[in-house]
Amino acid sequence: MNWNDYEAVWKRQELPVGADADLASLRQTFETKRRELAATLLIRDWTEISACLVVVAFYAWFWRSIGPSGWPMAVAMLLILGVAGVFLRERRRTRRKRLGADSPLLAKIEADLAELRHQRRLLLNVWAWYLAPGAGAMLIQVGVIIRRAKPWEATREPLFLLGFGLCLALFLWFVWAINVRAVRKQIEPRLGELEKLRRDILSPN
Amino acid sequence: MSSSLDHESLFQRWLEEHRGIVVKVARSFAQSPSDVADLQQEAMLQLWISLPSYAGQAKPSTWIYRVCLNTALTWRRGTVRRERRIEPSADVSLVMAEAASPAERAGERELLEQLYAAIHALPEFDRALVLLSLDGVAYREIAEITGLNENQVGVALTRARKRLAHLLKGVTDELE
Repeated sequence: MNWNDYEAVWKRQELPVGADADLASLRQTFETKRRELAATLLIRDWTEISACLVVVAFYAWFWRSIGPSGWPMAVAMLLILGVAGVFLRERRRTRRKRLGADSPLLAKIEADLAELRHQRRLLLNVWAWYLAPGAGAMLIQVGVIIRRAKPWEATREPLFLLGFGLCLALFLWFVWAINVRAVRKQIEPRLGELEKLRRDILSPN
Repeated sequence: MSSSLDHESLFQRWLEEHRGIVVKVARSFAQSPSDVADLQQEAMLQLWISLPSYAGQAKPSTWIYRVCLNTALTWRRGTVRRERRIEPSADVSLVMAEAASPAERAGERELLEQLYAAIHALPEFDRALVLLSLDGVAYREIAEITGLNENQVGVALTRARKRLAHLLKGVTDELE
């Protein structure tokens, strides 16, 4: 047997004739997927951005209620607005037109690789753009509260401070851990597969 | 409304002419009948979604190969890896179209099953190259589909054919 024999057998295989596509079902699947994606994006965008805005509004109210001595809250508000800014930038990035399924295979693989690497970088650096500013804002607020507290109030108790510190550290660790887990379980395996595929394509041997 | 009708009629026409591409890509990248059906459905969905961006720069068949192969490569990544070994695929229920006698038909059918099994055992990109080559697609067109240059296509295709020949060696020894 040689290549031509296989080519001949390959070309003689029976294939379905005609379009045989249920257009109504295709259109419905497409519309369902499009609606689901739009709803997911809308909910995610509004949840993240509006959560940040609610926190900023709360900090503004808190500052107003305690007067000029609450000025460090301005820094806390800026930190939270910075987090909202990162979310906003990422959402705009997501909405930008990407390479479609009709791109050359190598270009599509490289675009997918670049996107996955970006996501991995974002998740592994979650402490820098999300956890540190969030924790900083919380610490500023607690600092303002402690500074205004009377000597006998519970907020000045070392036990309270210790408990708060532990809870905050636990929360930060938890958020960091779920992000690292997502990188390890979801992004890195896909990244590995795509990198292997790219190597296979470009390998001369 | 009219553009939506154009979209539909073009889609229908291309599918009538090039349905074989969708089927052969699905058969080459999926093994079980349900996976083949899933992949065909996914490829058709991607063709439907991508059709408005078709700019006419490539031949329709080139464009369809690109969409189907990109879909197949993505689809494979989302599924559990299967063992890379040669065994007859249960889903390749293929009847040869022009074989003369029942014995000849049975022989060719078996050969085609072995060919698909060997293709399934190839690395993903080699699978795409072998499929394009068996379909008689020219180097220039393969280069357009893959994004490699023609020299790279030549080298990669030689490598893929060698791997396929190695996988089929046992089969051809039996047949000869």
